[in-house]
Amino acid sequence: MISSNSNNQNSAIINFKIKFSKLLQQPTILIGSVLVIILSYLVIAPIVSIFSNSVSLTMMDAMLSGSKDGEFTYKYIDRVFASSVSEKIFWIPLKNSITVSFFATLIALVLGLILASLVTSTNIFGRKYLGFLLIIPYMLPSQAMATAWLTMFKNRKISGPQGMLESFGVTPPDWLAYGPLPISICMALSYFPFAFLLFSSALSKIDIQLEEVASTFGAKTKAIWSKIILPLLIPTTMSVLLLTVARTLGTFATPYILGTPAKYTLLSTSLYSSVRSNDSGVVAVIAIVLSLIGVMLLLVDIWVVRKWQRFVTVGGKGIKRQPSKLGIFRMPTTIFAWIIFLIAALGPFIVLALSTLMREPGNFSFSNFGLAYWTGVNVPGMDQPGIFTSPEVITALKNSFLIAGSASIICGMLGLLIGYAVVRLPGTLISGFLRQISFLPYLMPGLAFAAAYLSLFAVSRGPIPALYGSISLLILVMVVTYLPYASRSGISAMMQVGPEPEEAGMVLGAGFWRRITTILAPLQKSALIIAIILPFITGMKELSLVVMLVTPGTELLTTQSIRFLDFGYTQLANATILIIGVVVMISVLILNRVTKTNLASGLGG
Amino acid sequence: MSEIKLKSIIKNFGGNSIAVDNLSEIFPDGEFVCLLGPSGCGKTTTLRMIAGLETPDSGEIFYGDKTFFSSKTGELTKTENRNLGLMFQSYALWPHMTVYKNIVFGLEMQKKSLEEKNKRYLELEKLFHLENFRDRYPSELSGGQQQRVALARMLAIKPSLLLLDEPLSNLDSNLRLEMRSELKRLHQSIGCTIIFVTHDQMEAMTLATSIAVMNKGKIEQIDKPMEIYNNPKSLFVAKFVGSPQMNIINSEIDNELALCLSKKLNIERNQVKNFGIRPESMKMVQQNEGDINANIETIQPTGADWIVGVNIFGKSIFLISSDSPIGKENDKIGIFFKPEGCHSFDSNDLRILKN
Repeated sequence: MISSNSNNQNSAIINFKIKFSKLLQQPTILIGSVLVIILSYLVIAPIVSIFSNSVSLTMMDAMLSGSKDGEFTYKYIDRVFASSVSEKIFWIPLKNSITVSFFATLIALVLGLILASLVTSTNIFGRKYLGFLLIIPYMLPSQAMATAWLTMFKNRKISGPQGMLESFGVTPPDWLAYGPLPISICMALSYFPFAFLLFSSALSKIDIQLEEVASTFGAKTKAIWSKIILPLLIPTTMSVLLLTVARTLGTFATPYILGTPAKYTLLSTSLYSSVRSNDSGVVAVIAIVLSLIGVMLLLVDIWVVRKWQRFVTVGGKGIKRQPSKLGIFRMPTTIFAWIIFLIAALGPFIVLALSTLMREPGNFSFSNFGLAYWTGVNVPGMDQPGIFTSPEVITALKNSFLIAGSASIICGMLGLLIGYAVVRLPGTLISGFLRQISFLPYLMPGLAFAAAYLSLFAVSRGPIPALYGSISLLILVMVVTYLPYASRSGISAMMQVGPEPEEAGMVLGAGFWRRITTILAPLQKSALIIAIILPFITGMKELSLVVMLVTPGTELLTTQSIRFLDFGYTQLANATILIIGVVVMISVLILNRVTKTNLASGLGG
Repeated sequence: MSEIKLKSIIKNFGGNSIAVDNLSEIFPDGEFVCLLGPSGCGKTTTLRMIAGLETPDSGEIFYGDKTFFSSKTGELTKTENRNLGLMFQSYALWPHMTVYKNIVFGLEMQKKSLEEKNKRYLELEKLFHLENFRDRYPSELSGGQQQRVALARMLAIKPSLLLLDEPLSNLDSNLRLEMRSELKRLHQSIGCTIIFVTHDQMEAMTLATSIAVMNKGKIEQIDKPMEIYNNPKSLFVAKFVGSPQMNIINSEIDNELALCLSKKLNIERNQVKNFGIRPESMKMVQQNEGDINANIETIQPTGADWIVGVNIFGKSIFLISSDSPIGKENDKIGIFFKPEGCHSFDSNDLRILKN
């Protein structure tokens, strides 16, 4: 008995000894475990907290009803779904959201498909440039289109300077200025590049030989498109449909800017007003609904992709499709494509820029132009300093760079670390867990995630202080939200390198840190730069995620532009958005320089 | 003696299949050992365990008087401290370092002075004909040049044990021939132990001083190349080594042929499950003049010789003839068997020794 006992003990010690020496040689497990702990808290805790918030009494309500704080209750679920206010806070917004998403997605899909077909497969003029130019709307912050629309079409219903049309003497009707129509159009114009990108890549992947075979049977271009190409695009169409719906549901800026004046509420804006009125139980319930819709859409997408997998054709010889000749339609289609570019990309820029340069809207006399709104000198009828001198703008600019900058640096490095742990520990629990958990935030719309963070970090819990109102909270929430993209690109970057370069170093006597610094880091340099710039671009134009978490002093450029709009300082709002646009464009150019590829391939978020 | 000793090595990657199954073997000092086997037989895993890139689940690995690994005492020597050379199939040259940087990396790890590094580099540059490539990056080199750089990088630290993981499989056939003789010369000139993993039996035959044929995590036979070829211990070894493959004749199904062979080999037919005949151990003669009659089905000239497909009572087999065939397709001929190329295997697929 005794001897077998000590034998067991002995072998346990030996086992431990082996494990320990392995750990010293390859501390991947250590890195992986630390990541697991950090991510568990940052990803799972907010989700748990939002579920618990939805069914426990807030302090305020507990005091009013004389119950205990945190007691279990159906009160908030009831309030959202079946009370006198549920029409207003949930059912009508839900109906509106569905309406707007339907039309926006439809328009975006059709535009994307038509433009992708024209650019990839026909001889319209300027197809080389259109491929790039048509993606620009995707890079603009989502409120650019909405504020441009407002600057153009707004009528006397809301305060602030006149709309451009109005100053020409045309008063746009309310239905054109605010509400479902402009919201749908603006969202469609912001999101069609996404459809355009997916369709273009699907079209270029279709094996040209499939079409050539058809033409040997005598099929004309029209028949080839209707019988072969379009059916092959069905899986892509489904993906575009579902992902665009998901995006439109989570969009905050457009409905906030164009819906509020007409009291037209969507789920996203309804959630926001609940946050503003401190109704955390209701916030939790609506956020859960939004997330569930997101999860459902994603599951359907996965199911569709799997179901249509048999449509995936094995690549051919990579021969490019000959652009088909459009004949007499060449001119009209060209004009159509360029007009879309004009409305969706160039238009907003021009309108926004013009509005900041004209003292009085609509007056095109030379003396009316000037930099008043930028410098703050001679601003008619406004008690605000100009953009360059406004302390709010300067703070917001600093914050934007600080927050998006640090978030993207942390996110990029974290992504590569996760990639390292996942790829180097294949088949282990750690690897699977990290892969899954880093993807989890993808399922929740930014608004819902922000609501979860709000409830988690409003008070201090254990060793973690209350972070509400701090810059760190904003950085944290951005890092976690962009993690799905960062970790996926990190994993694929690590996959591409493989373990051999490191092992070759190991054999020649290089220790762990030496391998990381002299072999792995230089090899992943450009992956790291991309992994940092991409979230930086998304972060600079991020609104829905941060709009409920900012406080005076932690405003970002995006939220500051919303504040300006709230107060009717349209020109200042427009100028702020232009600044964001310029920063984003410069980042994109840097990215292109680094990757030496077209950005069309790289934009994820 | 710095021989490599493997004792009861077991390695499992999870799942049902076992990668290396209770492997015990001694690779003597100075040998050029080829681990030969189909993909998934555990040969690369064995190599990587010797290198320390994988850790066995249990067992012991010794190199000379050094313990690389022992699950008995819990000793585990880090890869960094094993002082061996390893070459990968992909070469794993660091794309961000020049040829010079790649080659002197190991010396840098040993904190050698600049003069020592340069001196060693010049030696290797000359040995591997790498003059003028000093400042090039790996992507600017051809496949053969990359391989020479990888060899030079491995040899820079003068390791006494070289591990090569299919280093020739990315090369075209001409370069492969050249590199084979290069490796052979290298082994003769530095006299260190080399363990070489390959699935290409031709490579193993031409390079090795001894071949270990692996199957399902076990070594089926370890012997000198010609011994492996002439006296395969098992059906697996017999089938795996040799191209075109040895013809296998089932003693129950292929009646006439089996009967003929059992007579020829003077062996009880019911003892034998399979007969094997090397394609070059058959000779075409006129009809009724050989051991058995056959029909010519196909003739494939390769230039140096002819691969002839013949049908013997319904069984199709191949033979190699260095003389031009005595007939054409559909002609009837006779076949004469050379007994040294005919083998018999029992129901456990083990060779039945000739008496």
